[in-house]
Amino acid sequence: MKLKALSLIIIFGFFCTLANATTATDAAKSIQLAEDLWDKTKSAGHEWNTIKPLVAQAKQALESKDFATAIELSNKASQQAELALIQAEHEKTNWLNNLPK
Amino acid sequence: MNLLSKALITLLLISLTSVSYATPEQDKETFQSFYTERFPDISKAEFGDGVYALDQDARDQWEAMNDFPPYEDDLEEGETLFNTPFTNGKSYASCFENDGENIRQHYPKFDSKRNMVVTLELAINECRTNNDEEPLPYKKGDIAKISAYMASTSEGSEINIATPTSKGELAAYEAGKQYFYSKRGQLNFSCANCHIQNVGRKARSETLSPALGHPTHFPVYRMKWESFGTLQRRFDSCNKQVRAEPLPGQSEAYRNLEYFMTYMSNGLPVNGPASRK
Ligand code: HEC
Repeated sequence: MKLKALSLIIIFGFFCTLANATTATDAAKSIQLAEDLWDKTKSAGHEWNTIKPLVAQAKQALESKDFATAIELSNKASQQAELALIQAEHEKTNWLNNLPK
Repeated sequence: MNLLSKALITLLLISLTSVSYATPEQDKETFQSFYTERFPDISKAEFGDGVYALDQDARDQWEAMNDFPPYEDDLEEGETLFNTPFTNGKSYASCFENDGENIRQHYPKFDSKRNMVVTLELAINECRTNNDEEPLPYKKGDIAKISAYMASTSEGSEINIATPTSKGELAAYEAGKQYFYSKRGQLNFSCANCHIQNVGRKARSETLSPALGHPTHFPVYRMKWESFGTLQRRFDSCNKQVRAEPLPGQSEAYRNLEYFMTYMSNGLPVNGPASRK
C-alpha cells in the first residue's frame, strides 16, 4: 500500500516537472517573440517606452520561475509591439495628413 | 480612356505632388504663416519666447524670474569651459568660423562631404575628438553649458539655415519633416498634433507652445531639470510624454529633426539660453 502511494507520488512529481519544464520553455519562447517584435519597432523608428519594462518584468518572472506571469507580461509586450508596428506602417503615409494647411 | 477620367487622374496627380513635393521654402512659408495668421498680435520674433508669447500671466512670472536668471552660473561656467585650452594647447575657438563667436544661427549645418547633418553639439564634440580629447556626454552637462555660452554670443542674430537643395540635404530635411508629423508612442501623438494643431491650448496644466521658435533659445535651463538641456534633451521629454522611447543624443533621426525644425524657424532671432518651467 505504502509502496503504491509512494510510486504515485513519484509519478505525479515526474509529471509536474514535465509540465514545469514545458512552461519554462513556453515562457522563454514567449519572451523571445516579444523581444523580436520589440526589435522590429526599433528598426521601424516607432519604439514605445512601455515595452522595455514589460519585457524586463517578464524576464524577472521567468527567473523566479513564475512562468504564467512571464507569459502574460511578454504577451502584453508583443501586443504592444504589434500595435507600434501598425502605427509605423500607417504613419508611412498618414503623416502627410498632419501638415499645416 | 475618356477625357473625364484623364482629367481626374491629372488632377489627382497634381494634388498628390503638391502635397509631398512642396519645396522646403514653401513648407517654411506655410509653417510660419500658420502661426502668424493664428496669432496676428504676436510678432514673428516673439515666437521664440514659447508659451510666454501666448500667455501673459505666465510671461509676467517668467520676466520677474529673469531679473536673476537661474542659469547665470552655468552660463559662466560654459564660457570658462569654452576658453579653457585642450591638453594640446588648442581651443574650441580653433575649430569654428569666427572663433566660435556668433555662429549659433548657422547650426545645424549640412555637411555634404559626409552627407549628414551636423548640429552645434556634434561639432563641439568633434572639435574635442579632433584635438585628442574625450567626447562629452550629449544632452546635458558640460556640452549644454558650452553650447549655451556659444548661443549667447549669437543673441539677436537671425537663424539662417541654408535652404536644403542637394539630394542629401533634401533627404535629411524630408526625414526630419516626416519625424515631426508622424504620430508615435502609445498615445499616438505627433509633435505637430500638440505644437501645431493644439498650439495655445492646454495639455494637462501646460499651455502648448508654437513650434515656430522652438530652436531659437536652446539650450534651455529648465526648473524641472535644475540644469541646462539641449534641444535634443527636450525631444526626449516630449517623446516620453507620448510614451515613445527617446533616441540617443545625436542619432540620425534627432539630427534630421533638429535640421527641419530649425529651418522652419529661419529668420527668427537667436534668444538663448533661456529659462523654462
Ligand atoms: C502631448 C503633447 C506633446 C507632444 C506630442 C509633443 N510635445 Fe513638445 N511640449 C509639450 C509640452 C506640454 C511642453 C511644455 C510647454 C511648452 O513649451 O509647450 C512642450 C515643450 C516642447 C519644447 C520646448 C519649448 C520651449 O519653449 O522651450 C520643444 C522644443 C518641444 N516641445 C518639441 C517637441 C517635439 C520635437 C515633439 C515631437 C517629437 C514634441 N514636442 C511633441 C507637449 C508635447
